[in-house]
Order: sequence, then structure tokens, then C-alpha cells
Amino acid sequence: MIKRVTIRGYRIFRDLTVTPDPEVNIIVGDNESGKSTLLEAVALGLTAHVDGRWAGEELNPYWFNQELVRDYFAGYANGCTEPPPEIEIELYLDSTASELQRMRGVHNRLGEDCPGVKFRISLDPDYSAEFDDYMSSPGRPDILPTEYFSVSWRDFGDAPMQRQVKGLGVSFIDSRTLRSKAGVDYHTRQILSSFLEPKQRAAISVAYRMSRHDMTTSALTDLNERIATEGESLHDRQIGLTMDQSARASWESDVIPQVGDTPFAMAGQGQQAAIKVALAMRRSSTVTSFVLIEEPETHLSYSSLQRLVGRIKKLAGAQQLFITTHSSFVLNRLGLDKLLLLRGNQICRITDLSQDTVGYFKHLSGYDSLRLVLANRLVLVEGPSDEMVFRRGYYDARQVYPEDAGIDVVSMNGLSYRRALELCALLDRDAVVIRDNDNIAPAELVDDVSDLLSEQRHLIAGDPAAGTTLEPQLIRANGVAAMSKILSLRAQDDPMTWMHNHKSEGALRVLMTGEDVKMPQYLSDAIALLS
Amino acid sequence: MSTVVLAVAGGHKTQSIVDACQSDESKKVLVVGYTISSQEELARRIHQGRVRTHAEVTGWFSFLMQHLIRPYLPLLYPGTHLTGLNFDGDPGRYATGLARFMDHDGRAYKLHIAKLAYEVMKASQGAAMDRLGRIYEEIFIDEVQDLGGWDLEIIEALLTSPIQVTMVGDLRQALLDTEARDPKNSGFRGEKLINWFLAMENKNLLKIEHRPTTYRCNQAIAKFSDTIFEPTLGYQATQSASPESHSHSGIFTVSEELAAQYQATFNALCLRHSVSSGRALQLPFLNFGVAKGKTAPHVLIYPTQTIRTFLATRTPLDGRAACGLYIAVTRAQHSVAFVTNQPVQGLTDWHDDVRE
Repeated sequence: MIKRVTIRGYRIFRDLTVTPDPEVNIIVGDNESGKSTLLEAVALGLTAHVDGRWAGEELNPYWFNQELVRDYFAGYANGCTEPPPEIEIELYLDSTASELQRMRGVHNRLGEDCPGVKFRISLDPDYSAEFDDYMSSPGRPDILPTEYFSVSWRDFGDAPMQRQVKGLGVSFIDSRTLRSKAGVDYHTRQILSSFLEPKQRAAISVAYRMSRHDMTTSALTDLNERIATEGESLHDRQIGLTMDQSARASWESDVIPQVGDTPFAMAGQGQQAAIKVALAMRRSSTVTSFVLIEEPETHLSYSSLQRLVGRIKKLAGAQQLFITTHSSFVLNRLGLDKLLLLRGNQICRITDLSQDTVGYFKHLSGYDSLRLVLANRLVLVEGPSDEMVFRRGYYDARQVYPEDAGIDVVSMNGLSYRRALELCALLDRDAVVIRDNDNIAPAELVDDVSDLLSEQRHLIAGDPAAGTTLEPQLIRANGVAAMSKILSLRAQDDPMTWMHNHKSEGALRVLMTGEDVKMPQYLSDAIALLS
Repeated sequence: MSTVVLAVAGGHKTQSIVDACQSDESKKVLVVGYTISSQEELARRIHQGRVRTHAEVTGWFSFLMQHLIRPYLPLLYPGTHLTGLNFDGDPGRYATGLARFMDHDGRAYKLHIAKLAYEVMKASQGAAMDRLGRIYEEIFIDEVQDLGGWDLEIIEALLTSPIQVTMVGDLRQALLDTEARDPKNSGFRGEKLINWFLAMENKNLLKIEHRPTTYRCNQAIAKFSDTIFEPTLGYQATQSASPESHSHSGIFTVSEELAAQYQATFNALCLRHSVSSGRALQLPFLNFGVAKGKTAPHVLIYPTQTIRTFLATRTPLDGRAACGLYIAVTRAQHSVAFVTNQPVQGLTDWHDDVRE
């Protein structure tokens, strides 16, 4: 298994080190944070191939970190003689298997003695003169000429890697792949063909060739005879039609998987995703050691996703999994402790989350934990009505809604504050928890979770004397008459009773009203903390 | 326990490696040959008709580079990469540090490669041997008599590792010398290697096994070959297991005049010490060193002055002279003839009218 990945100069990653979990890694992060790029980099290190083609033939200037490229060109313009940017991916492995021990040595950036792979794209010294010419030519664009770069793929023992090593097999499952013309994407085809023995492959190939030959001798015969009699004027030698027997016409592009009676490509996208995972699972762990899954939730209904995640869980252990996701469900079910959070070129892994809390979120798999994980600044409130009133208060104070200020307001809906704070503390998130006082002095409530609080993490509750929950606190702050007006109540309605019976409707009216609303002191305090 | 098998010429040394490799094909085995021709021969015979044997065949220098030097070289010289072998180069007597071991293109000088391997192995603090032990369960080394100097330090490290090491060789055929210049272990050169094996046996690292049976030479040739070396070296008397079947067998002398006729009559393999000997004769001579590993029914030898003296006095030879003659004589299955106009006591002088 992979114990460390280092990526330098590849796409978004200037310099990233990941120490993955031996079994499951759930990679989360905002859009553009590099989730897919991380999977790509792992696959590149393991195979040096991109979509079935040798990376050296697919070199693309945009593989290089654009910041480094910009810096390089800027430096060059200023007479700086730094070498051009490089891409380097190192995979440190942890294995005593004899096949992998051959890849052992100290040829890696850390000088660590372990098996591993080093994938590198750098300026080919044989082309340094051409490269210098390119750089000094007037009017050249600020794009790296990848024609002058070469790929090196070596193990940590400094021996060039020749081919896919046994024990380093990888299955890449990308549910997002659009239907290709061939019906099956490259990775799925790889997985399928690994089921066939070489003899079976040869037998299929021969049968396929014969059937094409039959076609020439039967269906095409009449046509060829007609061409022969009518086409004499075309050319001095006879012209006819025959089936292509070249390597291009291989059975592999014409034989496609079928689901029930439906060709694979015609099956639903959700079904396709499920099948790809199932196929990858069936490959024995001697063929596949690593499974990379891109957004398994794509195209799946809740119940299909539940089944799929169940299957993925079974995969773990025999193979090392890397999964990107935008789904809190996937994250909760596979375990929050398996989280790899990508944010601003940094990666963070939660290793100290208590098993208790991991189990808690597994059972609460519908909870949107990903919002806690991904938020910049968090405000945790009791429920939807607190959320709406808080938004109103924030808007009144700042003239913007919190979401526009990069603040994510999340309703706890009964989730334990302690668990949520534990997660925030491990991720070092800024957070303000606003909670009901349950008739307990705020100081005592703060004390209960003081181990998880800091300069960036606060817990705020109202004074019990002003009421135990939001509603009495609001009435206390505004007075009964003003509150009736804010809520547009009939004269006979008591705001206290009405709000108790119409919690979220009341909060909505507070949010929407044109009247002035005074915030209870604890909410004002919370807003003040978020300056 | 690791073993060194000291067999006589024609003692099925290579065959014993082939048999061992084929007896357990799941075993992860490395076979190290010394000369390229012996590696090719080993690979051909081990893999003959076998699809899935795990045995790998390599050469001694490749072995040193691939498993000892390359993976851990940066521990000794940070930032350096090994790119290949500099076969003939010489860094000069006064080169030190990296320049002593590698040329400007990153190729290791063959001259000091074993020393470099030893230094890297030491710098790895056991990692190189640990790595090797996880890749191979057993290592066979063929023609072990050709190793010496720093090679022996590496073999000692192998012997102390968990890897089972089986070496085969014949000290009487020690003609090649991997590093002639370095004084390391100079007391164990050539046929004196036996003393090193004995030292290893004393340290309880090695078992020495003698196999004095030849399947090639007949008893007369076997007996003659035994007389080439000092009896004090302690070689056991060679036993022939060859079924004697030829009408022309034994040890002969042939006059220079009749040498060509002799060669034509018996299609004898013609051997000489080096290009400088036997120049007067128009015969297809091979040098002793090149003849190693070959088998011929009849052999015709052009003797050096040293060999002539040996034939006259029967005083045992030593060093390379002894080894060269031993190799030449033991190529033959049935007969050996020396080109000389001097009669030699105990040998039959061949005439075309001599018909057995």
C-alpha cells in the first residue's frame, strides 16, 4: 500500500504531501481544490500512462503548475537562470512482497529506504540547446515547450520501470465518464480484459477474424461480382470490397459488455457506475492493489448509493481505496476518520477523531457533515428558526447575508455540539456555536466544552433569566407589542404562544419583516465575534 | 547452511545448479554466473522447456550493480546515479572518493566495482542485504573460483544473511581474476581460495563439499590431472565415472612434424597457453582460458617451457601455470597429446603407424 504521496509541480499542486490511510481515503474539498488531480497523480505514478497511452506521448504544458510556470517566465525575463519547472510524483510504498522489494532503495526526495516509484517530467538534457533557442526567440508565448521535456519513471532503487509491476495494479473507476463512442471507457475496458486468460483472448481474436472473413466470402461476394462486371472502366485492375483485417479492426473495440439484454453503454449511468465498481471488486487483489473511484455518488439514487457504498466498504482492506466525493452520505458511511481534506494546496487528515464520534456520524449518515468540513467559518445553530433569525441579525448589522461573507450557518438539528466541535477542533475550523441555554448558566455550558474552544472557536448562549430558547429571548429583547407587529399577529394572539406553535413560520416572518428587529444580546455577541 | 561445492572438471557443476533450480520452481532463486558464455549456458539450460521457473540468471557485475550499488548509492555519494559499467577504464592510481569508483558519465569502473559495492553495502547499514533477502531465498554462484579480493567481503556478507548461498566451482580452474591490482585478500588468490573457504567454515558460515568425480575424463586423464598440483594442497584423488569407450585413449606425445596429421586423424581440440605459443604450427589453437567449459573427445596441447619442464621432471606446478594446464588437460574425454620432439617418460609417442 501507498504510505506517502508527494506531488510537486503537477497542476494545482506546487508541493503536496499526503500520508494516506492504508485502507480507505475519502478525498473531499471544494470544486477546483484538486481532488481529481490527486487521483490522477496517483494513477500517473503507478502506471505512467494517461488513458492507456504512455505519458511521454501525451505531455501537455498545462500539466505543469501554472504558478511555477509564471514565476519561471517572469524570472527568465529578469535574467534569472533557474532551471525550468518540473513535475515530480513520488509514491512511497509499504510492502515486504518480494516483487515490490525490487523497487526498494533510497532514490527519493526524503532519502528513505523503502520500495517506491518516482515519476518525473523534466527538461531533456539532449534538448537543452533547442530549449534555450526557444526561450530566447522573440515573440514566443509564455508556454513551456513540452516537446523538449522527457518522462522518467523509475523505482526507488533507481532502476527504470519497464511495465506495470505485479502488486501495483490499479483500477480507476470514473462514474463521471461520458458515453464514449466505443461504449466503454478505457479504464472499464482494462478491468474487463483482465478477466480473460491469454488463451481465451487469442481464441476470441481468431473467431472474430474468421467471422470477418466469412462476411467477405458470403455477403460481399455478390457485390464484388457486380463491381467486377460493371467497374472495369474504373481501373485496370479489379476492384472489390473486403472486411478490414488490420489490427485496428480488433475484437476489443467491437465486443462490449451487456447488462441483462441492454448494451453497457445504453444502461443507465447509475447502473454503469455500480457495474464498474462491481467489476473492480471481482478483480482479485493480486491484480489490483489500488482502487481509485471518482465521485461514486454521481447518477445514483439514495438507495443505489447505499448499496454501492456497501460494496465499496467490502473492497477496503484487500485493496487501498482512494475516493473523491461531494456527498456527506459517502463520507459519513465510510467513516469521517478516513477523510482527506484538500484546501488551498494543503491536505489535512483527521487521525485523532474518537471512534465514538466516527460511529456517531456513521449512524447519522444523512447529516451534512461535509458542510462542517468544507466551511471557512462556521456558525452552528440549534435549528432552522435560529438560522433564519441569525441571518436577519447579521444582515442588519453588516448589510450582507452571512453566506456572502463566507460564513456557513449550519443547523445542528439535534446533532451533539460536542461531536461537531470535536470535528471543528481537529480541522482547526473557525466556529461560533449558538445554542439554547436549557436553563443552565452559559459559563457552565462553555466550561463543558472548553477543551475544544479557542480564540477561533466560541460557544455562546443566552442568559437563562431572559428565557431558555430563542423565542422568549426575542420577545424579551423587542417587547410584546413590537414582537406582535414584527410577526404581523392578530390582536388576540399572544406572541409567546404563537411562536411556540409556529417556530419556523415565526422565524421566517422575523427574517422578512420591514419592521426593526432587536437581536437578543447573545446573538448580537455572536455577530460581533464574526467581525 | 550455505555450501561451497568444489568439484573437479567435468563434475557436473553447472548441471547441479540447473537441477536445483528445476526441483523447486516456486522458489525465488538468483543464479550468478561469471562469464557471459556461462550465463547464457545457465539461462538456456534452466529455462529449457520450463515456462514458470522463478530462477533469474545474471552476471556478477550486474548483480553488484543492480542489488548493492544502485539502490543505495546516494547513501555513500549523495545525488549520484549509476548509469552502467565502465569495462576497461582505469581511474588511475591516485584517484580518490567518487572519482576512484565512477567515471564522468556515472559508469562504475569494473576495476573497483566490488570495493564500491562493499562500501555502499556498508553505508546502507544492513538495508541492502535485507532487501536482497526479501527478494531471493537462494543464490547460486557458479565458477566461484574466479572471485577474489573485495568480492569475498560481499560473499561473506551474503553468508551471514538469511539467504541460502550455494557456490560451485573448481579452484584448479582459477584463471580469471576480477581485480588483479587491489591487495585486498591477496592471500586468497586463485587456488589459495580454499583457505578462505576454510576460514568461513571455521566461522560456521559455510560447509565445504568436495566432489572428486568426473563424468568427462577417463581414469588415465583424471590421474594425470591430479599430478599437476602440489599434493599438499589436499585435493582428493579424482575418480572417473566416464564409460571408457574409445580405441585411442591415454596421454601421448606427438612430434611437431606429425602434429597436423594427429589433429586430422582424431579431430583433436588444439590448445595453447597464449597466442605467442605454437606459432610455427598451422593449427586452429584456442587459448587455455577460452577453452573453459568446453568438452572434446581428444585434445592436442602445445606446451610452454614450464609445461615441458613439468613433463620432464613431474614436479607439480603452481599458480596460473597449474590452472592453465589443468583446464587444458581436463577438456578431454579420451586422450591428451602434447606436441614435443622430446620423448617423455611414461607417455607413448604417437606415430601414424601406431594403431591400437
